[in-house]
Amino acid sequence: MTVSVEPSPGQREPAPEAVAASPGVPIEGRSLGQIAWRRLRRDKVAMAGGIIIILLILVAIVGPYLVQNPNTYNSNLINPTFSRPNGSWGGISLAHPLGVEPVTGRDMLARIVVGSRYSLLIGFLATALAVVIGVFFGIIAGYFGGWVDTLIARAMDVFLAFPLLVFAIAIVGVVPNSAWGLSGNTLRVSLLVFIIGFFAWPYMGRIIRGQVISLREREFVDAARSIGARGPYILFRELLPNLVAPILVYSTLLIPTNILFEAALDYLGVGLIPPTPSWGQMLSNAVTNGFYYIDPMYMVIPGLAIFITVMAFNLFGDGLRDALDPRTR
Amino acid sequence: MIATCAALLAGLGLAACSSGGSSTSSGGSGSSTSGSASFNAALSGVVNPSTHKGGTLTFAESSTPDSFDPGNTYYAWTWNITRLWATPLVTYESCPGNCGLQLTPGIATSLGVVSDNGLVWTYHLKQGLKFEDGTPVTSEDVKYAVERTYDRSVLANGPSYFPTLLADPTYPGPYKDRSKNLMGLTSVTTPDAYTIQFHLQHPFPDFNYVAAIPQTAPVPPDKDTGSNYQLHPVSTGPYMFQSYQLNKGAALVDNPNWTQNEDPQAKQLASKVVIDLNVNADDIDNRLLAGDIDIDAAGTGVQAAARAKILSSPSLMKQSDDALSGFLWFAYLNTKVAPLNNASCRQAIEYAANKTDQQTAYGGPYAGGAIASTVMPPNIIGHQNFDYYNAVSQPSGDLTAAKAALKACGQPNGFTTGLAYRSDRPKEVQAAQSLQAALARVGITLQLHGYPSGTYYTDFAGSPNYVHQHDLGIDMGGWAADWPDGYGFLDEISNGNTIVPSGNTNIEELNDPVVNNLFTQATSPTLTAAQEQAIWPQIDQQIMKDAGILPEVYAKSLLYRNPAVTNVYVQAYYGMYNYAVLGVSTGT
Repeated sequence: MTVSVEPSPGQREPAPEAVAASPGVPIEGRSLGQIAWRRLRRDKVAMAGGIIIILLILVAIVGPYLVQNPNTYNSNLINPTFSRPNGSWGGISLAHPLGVEPVTGRDMLARIVVGSRYSLLIGFLATALAVVIGVFFGIIAGYFGGWVDTLIARAMDVFLAFPLLVFAIAIVGVVPNSAWGLSGNTLRVSLLVFIIGFFAWPYMGRIIRGQVISLREREFVDAARSIGARGPYILFRELLPNLVAPILVYSTLLIPTNILFEAALDYLGVGLIPPTPSWGQMLSNAVTNGFYYIDPMYMVIPGLAIFITVMAFNLFGDGLRDALDPRTR
Repeated sequence: MIATCAALLAGLGLAACSSGGSSTSSGGSGSSTSGSASFNAALSGVVNPSTHKGGTLTFAESSTPDSFDPGNTYYAWTWNITRLWATPLVTYESCPGNCGLQLTPGIATSLGVVSDNGLVWTYHLKQGLKFEDGTPVTSEDVKYAVERTYDRSVLANGPSYFPTLLADPTYPGPYKDRSKNLMGLTSVTTPDAYTIQFHLQHPFPDFNYVAAIPQTAPVPPDKDTGSNYQLHPVSTGPYMFQSYQLNKGAALVDNPNWTQNEDPQAKQLASKVVIDLNVNADDIDNRLLAGDIDIDAAGTGVQAAARAKILSSPSLMKQSDDALSGFLWFAYLNTKVAPLNNASCRQAIEYAANKTDQQTAYGGPYAGGAIASTVMPPNIIGHQNFDYYNAVSQPSGDLTAAKAALKACGQPNGFTTGLAYRSDRPKEVQAAQSLQAALARVGITLQLHGYPSGTYYTDFAGSPNYVHQHDLGIDMGGWAADWPDGYGFLDEISNGNTIVPSGNTNIEELNDPVVNNLFTQATSPTLTAAQEQAIWPQIDQQIMKDAGILPEVYAKSLLYRNPAVTNVYVQAYYGMYNYAVLGVSTGT
């Protein structure tokens, strides 16, 4: 955005002919992937998003081993009259770089870092589930058409029209603390992944279905069919590779949606089981207990964490789409 | 006793059951009339005593009442405010301090008189009482008021003590009777126009408290419009409805047929009373502090933002009171779930809990409450102070004693059990986590199980079966009584006879013969009031010896009074300002 429109004389872009002109370097054909990667690399905003994502993943993997115990109470850092941390900015100090939680005095940095592991884990797994289901049914609906398509498309409509939030609250409330051989937070995480992923697949399914409908009339599919290829081969060997671009783009865009949805469920009290740190629960606590007034940092920090994560994925996803499919720009 | 707090908790949400509050002593001892405003002045004395007549008294409420119909309401604040237009047979003495827990006649000439067998309660009505339209109040109107509460399909909200206690429990209510004056309820009789008798199934010494519920305020049968009666309850109090728009607000004006002589517990000072409904809670606080409104009707204390403002400003703090709400936050320690079926293991929990952290979780000393060491809060008749587990002397926990108790229990390295709490109650979530952290110090591991509050008492903590199957050794809870004596507070949460398969409130499943016997003694009809009151502390002490309940805090609410309001004091029964006696001064 900040690039000046005026081309300054000394700073002309190296023209393509410059490459062709350099002698001795053989001209190489570029694969579609290479072209996309070059385009993506030139998109500074998307690259910034990508770098933040990599950092977030690193933090989620190794961070929890580096921070203090997120469940240790530090009541001595709390002013009992107001339940807020002593000192300004939510009790930020060298020992607690992001301050401490009101009421409990637990270290905010530790809770944010450990919370990122759960947020990303649920976001990624739910997206993976949605992509697998969505792609499978999308391809089948698009390729076969007819009553198969009608059936799957209507099923997708049903899922899209489902009052998901209500359903999620109900199911999390009904499932006991241990079921199907899982218990505690393992069960809760699986449940959240299932609910979020299982209801997000129609978005992916519709996009894939649309793509497949246009692809199946193309010559290469006809060619495959004419040499005797059958359904599954065409579906997964001919069509699927052509769908990598939309799958990649839309799953990148689905991840932040799922992270937000997880935060929303946490906010409503049907997410992770305390004292497991969770960004959504911190926000919820800040709002419902009125800490936004007496200790605004308690709301700002998890809010920022969610904001940065979601924005990084969105920026990267947008950039990826532009790189892979410039026509949609 | 049926619905006490289960209903309060389920239906009222935060109205009576969550409150904030603070500070140390409540009234009882203080001087009776102190004029000057200072912090907690309205706990022990009347602030701004005045007989000035006129002005508009403005209440604001962040939600809506369940109903302004005295026969159809179960919120603490509506019981308080209905005194402006509905006088029950018996009411509470209007005075600051614990004197406000005492019963006094309302439209009756004296408290009820019980027959020798304890089954018939007789009340005589004051003669010459009139409704707002000038028609005389008769015993038939009181009988009709009780009758209409039997029909839960029309009036669903009020408590159901009458069908539970009175003979003829299957009476369908007057609305199914077709002819309005049939008066079919056989367990209430009206020998003459000024006498009413209640015939009970079993002796019930606390019946006067039941007669103090707004449901006994007279309702003229020909003016009853069923569920629409709330739009204009026919007044027997100092004010009558001028207008009422559901969910928006009401305006009340002087009732010309009310006389101060006949109703000394209420006052008719302001010439108009306005009740604004559905006002944002933080907005109420701001307008209260700015002096635009007079009283926050909910009476559960200011929000966190206003609390911070008040507590950090000496001039605002002078205008506030930290009142005991009569509510106890506590944890049930189940006496049937292993290893908590051993009393020593429960005692280890009593010792190891960090009461300061619990207090902070519930909102700190001002908005949360005072650290509790007994089951009955100080504003309950029969409260006696004792501290078996050093809750007050070692508020962060007595770990040495806890470890000794664990050894006595045969679990020297601690044990694992479940902890149930309501996941949609932020303060309870905090309290559960703090208990988990505190007990971990002696090796007791708690597995947290959150449940929705709407079904907490029916399907989860209130279902002994569920509790046993899921190993819920500890269940968080809160409790307030419908009337302020030991029976009202203790019976439902500790009497072995009250354990039921669903909607159980004796969640610790305490079935101690000592406790049960004391309850049987206390309800014997031959007992004097003083003898009865001597039994409540014994029950409280026995529950604590059994360690069936881990008391956390006596809830308090930080209330703010507009300096312009006169005759302000906290009525101990409600734990909020007495709304029936307020006036406004001009000039401020």
